[in-house]
Amino acid sequence: MTIPQDDAPPPRGRPEEIRAVAVRHPGRWVAVAVIAVLAAMFAHLLFTSSVLHWDVVGQIFTYPTVITGLGRTILLTVLAMVIGIFGGILLAVMRLSGNPVLSGVSWIYIWVFRGTPVLVQLYVWNFLGALVPTIGIGIPFGPTFVSWNYNDLIGLFTAAVLALGLNEAAYFAEIVRAGIQSVDEGQSEAASSLGLNRGQTLRRIVLPQAMRVIIPPAGNETISMLKTTSLVSAIALEDLTRAGQDIASRTFYEIPALVAISLWYLLITSILSVGQFYIERYYSRGTNRVLPPTPWHKIRTNLFSVKRVGGTA
Amino acid sequence: MTVPTAYEPMVRAEQVHKSYGLVEVLKGIDLQVQQGQVFCLVGPSGSGKSTFLRCINHLEKINAGRLYVDGELVGYKEKGGKLHELPDREVALKRRDIGMVFQRFNLFPHKTALENITEAPIQVKGVSKADAREQAHALLARVGLADKAGNYPSQLSGGQQQRVAIARALAMEPKLMLFDEPTSALDPELVGDVLDVMRQLAEDGMTMIVVTHEMGFAREVGDALVFMDDGMVVESGHPREVLTNPQHERTRAFLSKVL
Repeated sequence: MTIPQDDAPPPRGRPEEIRAVAVRHPGRWVAVAVIAVLAAMFAHLLFTSSVLHWDVVGQIFTYPTVITGLGRTILLTVLAMVIGIFGGILLAVMRLSGNPVLSGVSWIYIWVFRGTPVLVQLYVWNFLGALVPTIGIGIPFGPTFVSWNYNDLIGLFTAAVLALGLNEAAYFAEIVRAGIQSVDEGQSEAASSLGLNRGQTLRRIVLPQAMRVIIPPAGNETISMLKTTSLVSAIALEDLTRAGQDIASRTFYEIPALVAISLWYLLITSILSVGQFYIERYYSRGTNRVLPPTPWHKIRTNLFSVKRVGGTA
Repeated sequence: MTVPTAYEPMVRAEQVHKSYGLVEVLKGIDLQVQQGQVFCLVGPSGSGKSTFLRCINHLEKINAGRLYVDGELVGYKEKGGKLHELPDREVALKRRDIGMVFQRFNLFPHKTALENITEAPIQVKGVSKADAREQAHALLARVGLADKAGNYPSQLSGGQQQRVAIARALAMEPKLMLFDEPTSALDPELVGDVLDVMRQLAEDGMTMIVVTHEMGFAREVGDALVFMDDGMVVESGHPREVLTNPQHERTRAFLSKVL
């Protein structure tokens, strides 16, 4: 391969390269000026305010109770999303099945869990012990063989995971259903004409293609879940938000505590976004002729093209 | 009544009816496809030829009549004078023996050409991965795409995709191949490659039912031809006879437009 040189004589008959003057965008420069002033004012506030106490923010950021709370927040998010994703896929498949009992059950589940606030569901799982004091294995309306006390079996943490996960499943079911329905009918026809049964067709042909549609809202849901877990402070579970609140009420450093925990939420959200990008990239194979470039690729190609323009100018 | 033959025909249709709601798409189709025959179905769009093809592997359910493939009812079991629907698993089992090629290819876009071909042998027949890959490479060579094993469908031209789709169907070693307008979605210069593969397949003795608008192919390769219009068989016979000397006015009108 040879790269054409600008100083080489142009091939005969080829017209001159177009070097036009680009369109001017004066509005953009005005906007940049306005934003720059606002940003400067905000930065001034951040660095001169007497209530911010950046040194205290730093201390709270790494305070042991905050780190423990952070760990619990992440664990809650992961467990609730696992329940949400698998429950959601199950509910979506039930909803789309030809079996009226299954699709009816799925419809009612989604109706109830999507129709009541998560906070209320948290309280319900926490106080369900009052309605169902014991849980046992036995014959319905007959003798019980083994039984447990509800409050021993379902602790605060389990109640929170169940509430968040089962609520998420209802939302996730709708996302998965949209994904499955976005896959062309011809795909299932081709699969069944090859002798694949319904389960194989769903697992190997339809769901992998549905993932392309499912992943972006799923990333949204995961990020949303990370923040929704802060509701568990309402049932006295020590998560990241609760840890920050406790420090604030003990030391009266309210603003630094809020800034410190917000920084943690932002950091985790950023990591999740990067993960989402790579998962999306994986599932787009085959649909694009070329995979979308990673940020690293973009940086490299930009540097390279800058160098080339510089060299030939 | 059909005359008893020494061989059971590959496909036997008796008064096949099919409706979508109030619209009757097939109004009593009677035909027989013999083993090893290349059987062409032609006719204007909306005449029901694609629907009939889809009934043969039970992608569509028929409403009346009987449809047999290799002597067995399609989609049903007759027991004590009553028809029983076959469960999903048994329908899938019978489809293994019937290959189908679609107008829009319907390759799996998230799998490479090779993976498209190995999917069914591995998942359905339980063939080992190594054996399936070896067979897939041989099939790709047979359709002239030995160097495209690692390409995704979006990186292939329409004609190449359709040839992969044929190889994918052949991987299940079917005894009958159904072609639903296999060249209708292709650019004219790509049609020839696909027809060449089909011609080769016919020479190898495969039983094929082809819904097509390629009259040249039907005349050259076909053993039998049926002209359908408005859900009925209008005329049938040897392709050369029907195409050069049509007996019915509707056949003549149609052929004058497409030839």
